[in-house]
Amino acid sequence: MKWTRFSSTAAVYVVLVLGALFTLGPFLLSILTAFKTREQFAQEPALSWPDPFTLDNFALLLTGPAQFGRAIVVTILAAVLILVGQLICSILAAYAFARVDFPGRQVLFWVYLSTLMIPPVVLVIPLYLMMTEAGLRNSFWSLVLPFAFASPYAIFLLREYFRGIPQELIDAARLDGANTLDVLVEIVVPLSRPIIATVTLITIVSNWNSFMWPLVVTTGSEWRVVTVATASLQSQFNGNWTLVMAATTLALVPLLLLFLLFQRSFVRSITISGSA
Amino acid sequence: MRSRGRLRRRSAITGYALLAPSLFGVVCFLLLPVLVVLWLSFQSWDLIGPITFVGLDNYQSVLSDGVFGNSLLVTLIFVALVVPIQTLIGLGAATLLTRGLPGSAWFRTIYVLPWICAPLALGVVWKWILAPTDGALNTLLGQRVEWLSDPALALPAVAAVVIWTNVGYVTLFFMAGLLNIPGQILEAARIDGAGAVKMFWHIKLPLLRPTMFFVLVTTVISAFQVFDQVYALTQGGPARSTDVVAARIYYEAFDAFDLGRAAVMAVVLLVILVVITLAQQFYFRRRVTYEMD
Amino acid sequence: MAKRSTIIAAGVAGVLLVIAGAVTALNFSSSESSSDATTVTVRLWDEQVAAAYEKSFSAFERDNPDIQVGVEIVPWDDYFEKLRTDVAGAGAPDVFWVDGGSYPAYADAGALLDITTALPADAQAGWSAPVVAQYTRDATLWGVPQLADPGIAVYYNADLLGDAGLTADDVSALTWDPTGDNDTLIGVLQKLTKDYNGNTADSAEFDGSNLSQYGYNAGYDLQAMVLNYLASNGAQFQDESNQYAFASDAGIASFQYLVDLMNKWQVAPSAADTNTNGDFSREQFLQGKMALFQSGVYNLANVSAGANFDWGVVRLPSGPAGAISGVDGIAAAGNAASQHPAETQRVLEWLGSAAGSEFIGASGAASPAVLAAQPAYAAYWTSENVDISPFYDVLAAGTAPAPRGAGWPAAENAMRPLLDEVFIGRTPVDSGVRAAQNAANATQTE
Repeated sequence: MKWTRFSSTAAVYVVLVLGALFTLGPFLLSILTAFKTREQFAQEPALSWPDPFTLDNFALLLTGPAQFGRAIVVTILAAVLILVGQLICSILAAYAFARVDFPGRQVLFWVYLSTLMIPPVVLVIPLYLMMTEAGLRNSFWSLVLPFAFASPYAIFLLREYFRGIPQELIDAARLDGANTLDVLVEIVVPLSRPIIATVTLITIVSNWNSFMWPLVVTTGSEWRVVTVATASLQSQFNGNWTLVMAATTLALVPLLLLFLLFQRSFVRSITISGSA
Repeated sequence: MRSRGRLRRRSAITGYALLAPSLFGVVCFLLLPVLVVLWLSFQSWDLIGPITFVGLDNYQSVLSDGVFGNSLLVTLIFVALVVPIQTLIGLGAATLLTRGLPGSAWFRTIYVLPWICAPLALGVVWKWILAPTDGALNTLLGQRVEWLSDPALALPAVAAVVIWTNVGYVTLFFMAGLLNIPGQILEAARIDGAGAVKMFWHIKLPLLRPTMFFVLVTTVISAFQVFDQVYALTQGGPARSTDVVAARIYYEAFDAFDLGRAAVMAVVLLVILVVITLAQQFYFRRRVTYEMD
Repeated sequence: MAKRSTIIAAGVAGVLLVIAGAVTALNFSSSESSSDATTVTVRLWDEQVAAAYEKSFSAFERDNPDIQVGVEIVPWDDYFEKLRTDVAGAGAPDVFWVDGGSYPAYADAGALLDITTALPADAQAGWSAPVVAQYTRDATLWGVPQLADPGIAVYYNADLLGDAGLTADDVSALTWDPTGDNDTLIGVLQKLTKDYNGNTADSAEFDGSNLSQYGYNAGYDLQAMVLNYLASNGAQFQDESNQYAFASDAGIASFQYLVDLMNKWQVAPSAADTNTNGDFSREQFLQGKMALFQSGVYNLANVSAGANFDWGVVRLPSGPAGAISGVDGIAAAGNAASQHPAETQRVLEWLGSAAGSEFIGASGAASPAVLAAQPAYAAYWTSENVDISPFYDVLAAGTAPAPRGAGWPAAENAMRPLLDEVFIGRTPVDSGVRAAQNAANATQTE
């Protein structure tokens, strides 16, 4: 009995470890290859250790005409701006839907929810047309504007959470003379830290990873984000895999670090929100 | 009476004021674009020339030339490959990870890594791994397999990459679902002499139904819109064997510069996804009431 | 009570301020307009020519201190996708390269400067006549000719020829024939192709699925392969009214021959490699793994810089209708919506002048379309001990035009997946080529 138990546990671990290797393999290959010279890459198997260990690929990416450093800065700036905008707008809207009584609340909430069914790829063409007409194509603002005001999804998540905040707390603050903004800032936001953290993580991840819209709306190295820079590098240096893997490494590692730092919140966020 | 009316008016003003910024975003960047794409589907536009009204010409051309039909078929096959397989693997992994073995949390963290990373960047990594001549996989196998350039293999290969990306996500939900099953129920079943297999099929799986539903809904919808991995791996080729709808829309608009046709395809995709979502909602409602009986 | 809201408000304001500052800084660094000079941007896809342009424009800027010229490179793979959206979004550079298949759509949309009236007539006198003809539509010239690619020829790796007991003379007058009667190409290529065990393609043990050395770069490369094989068999790519006409009997025989080189005789890389990576064959040639590499002068600088073996150039194989090569020219178009039309015209005039084009020829980067700059090109390659006459001699037998007409991007998009399949060998050549022609013609509404 004990023996079969032991062997079945061992079997489970074997399966789990194989799965983990399979999951991590591509990441390791990307990182290993990024530190290799082209010569070593051409001659030795993919899994060989980088020898000589070189930073040339990264140096070429960051200082060369690819302007990868600039792409990283643009990506971070856009993600932060979208995050700030979405958080403010979504918290305000979620509070209105959760706690304020006004005519048309149900209908508007239903309208917000229904926009969740619109796939992003459908929006790309009309948004492109609109940005072009507004003269904003290939600008920093074209990356930010369409997403900076609200995310119906964040509003939905926040509203659910806000509804769980005891009304007595809000009423008490009201009696002390607090207005709506005071209530939001002093009571609702502090009590909702976990869900706000969730929304923050989803927003950062989805903006760091977003690709189709930046691909369509920007040209050249000026306002390129990391994903677009990686894709264009791939087509420009077709077959120069050490350089391309340095690019994918730069695109992947910041999020990996963020994930390892905030692992628990991330896992919770994904289960709460169903996305990341 | 008067003060109540005023209070209500104040409350209404507060509500609209709080809603104003997000409403601006929803109207300008979600609702208006849907109208624009609908309008554009009746126009002819090559990006640089004038926009001219052509009535139903775009619809006729899209629905008759087979390219879009192929894309729909490819997308359906893709969804049919990705969703069941990743659900099964995720369910299996979740079962293994909820046995209370030490280290489970670590494995869970590792499995979910691909899900949070940029699909485009991972697609590029896989593009090299699967490259025919100097790719990592073929060097490992010691055999030349044309993963991405054989039309018979390309779609399964792209699907495998997507499954690899999503499995951790699915696992996470099934883990949560399994851990939510009350211990007493399992204990009672065990006392009744249910074996592991029976327990899984007759106790755990039915109790996982809400989780299963959620996972299926989200993964079907996201699989319908796959783009980044296809762009990185195959660009829709070879021979349009991976030309999924989202990629087709992109290439039609920004490679062939036929915005009218692309708009038609976008409208069709929107309709399909709305129908799927509503159907799933409807099915779910019925199921829930059934369960509550 | 107000403390927390003040902190949050201050925090948000701080973040926004930092972002605004950073974006302004990025904006600033991208425009780089330090002086009062007007900046004119010139966009192209060729890095070698871009380097020559940099030299050319610093000479130009010395004489024209009121103008700064910025050169930007967009890789070929993304070039026309991006150009279209840039022109549509009023974000296009002042001057940009176009090719023969892409300019008509822009000309028709009024996006290009009318060169015929914009530049003085005497400035237009010294340009290569075929390129001028290529960029003339409705009696108007739409670009300043920049490159005049002569014909296509074959680069050979002398070391690999030597290994097979061949010399350059053995490959300088090869013939191909779809009937096989008068074919010397296949036999030579078989000697030059090896599998992983070192067996050449003419030996019985040859394993064509696993090559270590390729004979030739047969594949779906319109400019280097398809147009020439069509013309050398008397077939057309497009007819006089720009309808696609490559699925004639002779055309299908040409496609069949190319496909057979890959899939039947197995003397060329698999289409699985070359369909998706247009540079695959050049890389193989430069790595010493390909004996004969058919291409144009557009790869001359690359080969010269990258090959560490003895190499040379010979005439392309001649077919039943002779050795006929495609020719192509590249022009620099002016943006009709440019913010600084006067400065743009002066830059275009410089590009079309002998002095401005001299740098392209003198650096060996590409063959200039400005006639007065062409001797410098020949002189450069003579000084490098490279005989480039095979690229030019082939022109005497007649030439095949490059793809033309406003509908080329859509036609290309429609036929590519079908022809990819033909080359990979999964669609029969005759039905596949016919389907590709029909698909291409179906996109033409002109």
